[in-house]
Amino acid sequence: MSRYFFSVIAIFSFACVFAQAPKKDSVTINVKQNRYGLRVGTDLYKIARSIYDKDYQGLEIVGDYRIAKNYYVAAEMGNEKITVDDDRLNFTTSGTFIKGGFDYNAYENWLDMENMVYIGARYGFSTMSQTLNSYKIYNRNSYFAEQPPVDVSEKYSGLTAQWLEIVVGTKAKVINNFYLGLSVSVKKLVTNNKPENFDNLYIPGFNRTYNGDFGVGFNYTVSYFLPLYKSKAKVVKKIAK
Amino acid sequence: MIKRLLAPLFILALATTFSSCEKDDICALTTETTPRLLMEFFNSAIPSDNKNVTDLQIAATGETSAITYNNASKILVPLKTTEDTVEFNLTIFASSEDPAVRNVDRLVFNYARNEVYISRACGYKIDFLLNQGNGIVLSDPDGSQWIKSIRVVQPTIITENTTHVKVFF
Repeated sequence: MSRYFFSVIAIFSFACVFAQAPKKDSVTINVKQNRYGLRVGTDLYKIARSIYDKDYQGLEIVGDYRIAKNYYVAAEMGNEKITVDDDRLNFTTSGTFIKGGFDYNAYENWLDMENMVYIGARYGFSTMSQTLNSYKIYNRNSYFAEQPPVDVSEKYSGLTAQWLEIVVGTKAKVINNFYLGLSVSVKKLVTNNKPENFDNLYIPGFNRTYNGDFGVGFNYTVSYFLPLYKSKAKVVKKIAK
Repeated sequence: MIKRLLAPLFILALATTFSSCEKDDICALTTETTPRLLMEFFNSAIPSDNKNVTDLQIAATGETSAITYNNASKILVPLKTTEDTVEFNLTIFASSEDPAVRNVDRLVFNYARNEVYISRACGYKIDFLLNQGNGIVLSDPDGSQWIKSIRVVQPTIITENTTHVKVFF
């Protein structure tokens, strides 16, 4: 069996030699074209979660526009509605968000590949309402029986938050002009207009707040590239020795 | 190029891992939650001197259990978070077999409640404000009163660090 396997490898290695042989003494011209245009898509995770999680509804449209060889202007916008049932609080956050910034592509594409491994920065803004559905009174002293949760349905509207985020991600062309993207981000609140006697524990576009002002997020996107123009073809000459 | 991105990706993954078990998920024991009323006992003969209560049992009307303090000059009284009033029986020498030695005095606390947001993990707490006129009403159900007088020194109850009520006996 192994003898047969080796002979197959041997045949293939000869084939490789033959395949490379004609390249000698030839001139290869690689025409590298940079396509510029608008790429629009959506976050698949938010759509999927809206289907399986009855306490969540969300939609996010993502877009980027290539402005230089490695730089893209990027933006995201969307809305979210989520009901969070924490140990001591139950609340509903509903609102809209918009984010803008840029991505820097650190991936060196070969020929006409158009993939991205990027790092980027965003400024985010959200306008939302928080509805406190119920809460519990924290009482470490247990002399009296613990009080049942207090139902309130108190709605706080017109709240806003602004933040900065760092994004790291990748986008890969799967077919024609369709791309799949995956990115993770860390966020830090800059301004946070909190409701009176409550807090913004979830912010649309920012997600759950940690320690009051820290957040994390991830996107799983599918997008379509709309080519608008091509950069001047760059001719690279390679002469084999 | 990819190598340069590995470091931030790693840090990000680490941050995500740690952030999921942040301390704001658990209500820390140091967090100030619903306070109890701090009552301090003084000698009625020398009002500046503390006096210890011996074998004091306090029990709210309608509750089966009691809180016991012995040789203490400061006691903590829990207030009801569901009502604006609570009635306590304060029994001194409570474990004595002799009913002549046991002595019950009754205190009715009247107050306003204020719900204050603490955090995600702790939820809300209640602060109390003793009423101006009838904050504490003293009565004597058994005919012999051991408490001579009561003075509210801090009607706003938001912590357990300061004395709210002085009791002279």
